[in-house]
Amino acid sequence: MKVDLGPVTRIEGHLNVKTTIENDQIVDAQCMGEMFRGFEVILRGRDPLDAQQITQRICGVCPYAHAIASSYAQENAYGLQVPANGRIMHNLIQGANHLYDYLLHFYQLSALDFVDVTAILKYTGKDADLRKIKEWVQAELASQKAFPGAPFLPRLNGDYLMDDELNIGALKHYVEAMEVQKKANRAAAIFGGKFPHSTAIFPGGCTQAARMDLIASYQSFISETKEFIHSRYIPDIVAVAENFPEYWQIGASKGGFLSYGLLPLSAERNGSRVLAPGVLQGGKVKPVDFGLITQDVGHAKYSSPSGLKIAESSLTPDPGKKGAYTWTKAPRYDGRVMEVGPAARILVDYHLGGNKTVKSLVDTYAAMFGITADNLNSVLGRHLCRAVNAVVIADFLLEESERIDPGGKTMADIVVPATAEGYGVTEASRGALLHYIRIADYKIAAYECVVPTTWNASPRDDKGQPGAMESALVGTKVADLQDQIEAVRIIHSFDPCIACSVH
Amino acid sequence: MMDRRTFLKLAAALCASFGVNGMPGPVAAALKKIDPAAVPKLIYLQGLSCTGCSISLLQADSPSPLSMITDYSQLAFHADLSAVSGKKALGLIDRYIAGEAGEYFLAVEGAIPELMPEACIIGHKPFGQYLEEAAKTMTGAVAIGACACDGGIPAAEGNLTGAVGLREFYGKRGINKLVVNIRGCSVHPDWVWHTIIHLVKIGVPELINDAPALFFKRKVHELCPRYHDFQQEIFAEKLGDQGCLFKLGCLGPDTFADCPTRWWNSGQTWCVDSNAPCIGCASPGFARKKNFPFYRLAERDK
Repeated sequence: MKVDLGPVTRIEGHLNVKTTIENDQIVDAQCMGEMFRGFEVILRGRDPLDAQQITQRICGVCPYAHAIASSYAQENAYGLQVPANGRIMHNLIQGANHLYDYLLHFYQLSALDFVDVTAILKYTGKDADLRKIKEWVQAELASQKAFPGAPFLPRLNGDYLMDDELNIGALKHYVEAMEVQKKANRAAAIFGGKFPHSTAIFPGGCTQAARMDLIASYQSFISETKEFIHSRYIPDIVAVAENFPEYWQIGASKGGFLSYGLLPLSAERNGSRVLAPGVLQGGKVKPVDFGLITQDVGHAKYSSPSGLKIAESSLTPDPGKKGAYTWTKAPRYDGRVMEVGPAARILVDYHLGGNKTVKSLVDTYAAMFGITADNLNSVLGRHLCRAVNAVVIADFLLEESERIDPGGKTMADIVVPATAEGYGVTEASRGALLHYIRIADYKIAAYECVVPTTWNASPRDDKGQPGAMESALVGTKVADLQDQIEAVRIIHSFDPCIACSVH
Repeated sequence: MMDRRTFLKLAAALCASFGVNGMPGPVAAALKKIDPAAVPKLIYLQGLSCTGCSISLLQADSPSPLSMITDYSQLAFHADLSAVSGKKALGLIDRYIAGEAGEYFLAVEGAIPELMPEACIIGHKPFGQYLEEAAKTMTGAVAIGACACDGGIPAAEGNLTGAVGLREFYGKRGINKLVVNIRGCSVHPDWVWHTIIHLVKIGVPELINDAPALFFKRKVHELCPRYHDFQQEIFAEKLGDQGCLFKLGCLGPDTFADCPTRWWNSGQTWCVDSNAPCIGCASPGFARKKNFPFYRLAERDK
């Protein structure tokens, strides 16, 4: 039997996942991105400096990642020398954006997969937030309305946490996380101008001044966020892992891992990053070669040619195309399926032995849970890797902010050439993000974005290989054939963003 | 500017178009006491959007987002927060839209792909179809952000989907329901939540171009703390400079919004305070034309 899990909620955007069930097990899955805007076509013919603004609107959850990738691509195209302050501010903005995104993902988007919200009715303590929630839920349930408790109820059938103390604690942290994510975003906005959709990020740096008062405010917000990461986020992930240990084995994707590396430590284009770039396949990491990336559209709703390299990309929508089931293209690396995202970042760096904190955290948690690094390719692995990312990034941001030279230059002088091309890559919170720009006669002649969820939620390629998330769903046992909370947990572990994937 | 008498006449006309007297039933009840059965329900649907407005709504300070969706209104459905998904979620949406689950406001984020309905599907049905059906049962709609109001970037020149905003979509179909426009890419959370509070507590706020006058009455340039620099001709010459940003292309003189007095992210900052020119994201024509770039840098040799 085939079941549509869409609209999948607690993600960004319009995703349906069609699963085929035999003997209570998923034997096939199709990821369907159901929203198309056509950014690459909209960008054509525009002023190149519009790009970091327009492309942020691909995604309002991770706009800063697009601004950064676009800025890197333009810096490459214009041959800009970015002043140290400019590069540091880019990092401060982007890193803070990661922290908010991890907290939002775990608490607002994922927690309700595991936490039993009805446990609040048993709360007898004095915490003002929790008493308020309890009274609200009681009043809702007592009302005669059609859907009491929305948006937290109704919910899917499933094996929720049984421990009331954990449930109630997690609900408290759900409320706290809503406040803390704002602080991480305030930090990013200090140098970004506002959040979402920064106006102060440019190729070549930031327009914001390198002021001591701003640095101090930034550090204060990041310190508060860091405190929450250590005192709440990590213990909550550990609690979920202890209660759902089977999810170390559930949701493994069947391809390799790709990371472009996150947060450059110097102005050099190929200099080292806090988390190292690479392609992990069969236990070995190789350097990334953009020339090996192609995008298939055999099962995507485009009539433009399939298998094109990035610089040759083309986009002609064909909504009624036969055999196509999604607006998402199928990017492949040297013809292979890749998972991108927090687990890819950690696994690539771990195998390279680049970041000592990554190595030590992975080894510590592996010992604690009796798993190996390979088990990070799983539902729990992706959640844990986000937390490891968060720890590493928060520490780095506090150090990095000390390196700003107060009063120093924060922007390169931009001169847009008549003809140029450039690549820019970074890691959005959801994974490997690439922007490509080609300029002719001072205008954008071509622009291409290959976005994290384009990789993760890709359909079958022209060889018939399913995408990373499709492959991660196959083989999963489901208890309730309609609701399939097990599948929803796998999907959420990837944190899909359809606005990004199709754009 | 609209005087009080004109406003009251307009408000009465708008309320009459609700099909109720004065204000919606639940609103009147909510005025007295927050009663969960009476709090207005919001069905929040997303079209051609980036979710940036939803994320911005989570940055609200006073009241907090949680208070907004429990005390002042109820978020009956939102794709980013709802626990339920799949068929159960569609069932909830369908019951509201069928008029079987009580009164509700429709909140819309994102544009509608008028010429390519397949470009936005929720549960096998085009997004636009939900909007047409909801028009028959909803109390009114709040269009949240540039895309829902005027099409935004999905409607920019050269787009392939024929994206339009909610008012234009309804207008072409002869639907004349209350639509309050909250522009901005993204919206400021206060603009939306405080409008909803106004709808809940008092009724329809004073509108200019369908947008609440409270937030969109005056130009960024008029309110700008760097207006003095403009008068004294102290201009930023290149990006990163202080001073009036007009010569770099700042669209403050063309944009109606209260950013210079409200500031963003809990009053932390706003574009011009970080030396970034206003790009006119609260204007109906935001980002529309290819040959109207956001920035004017040094004159180029061409």
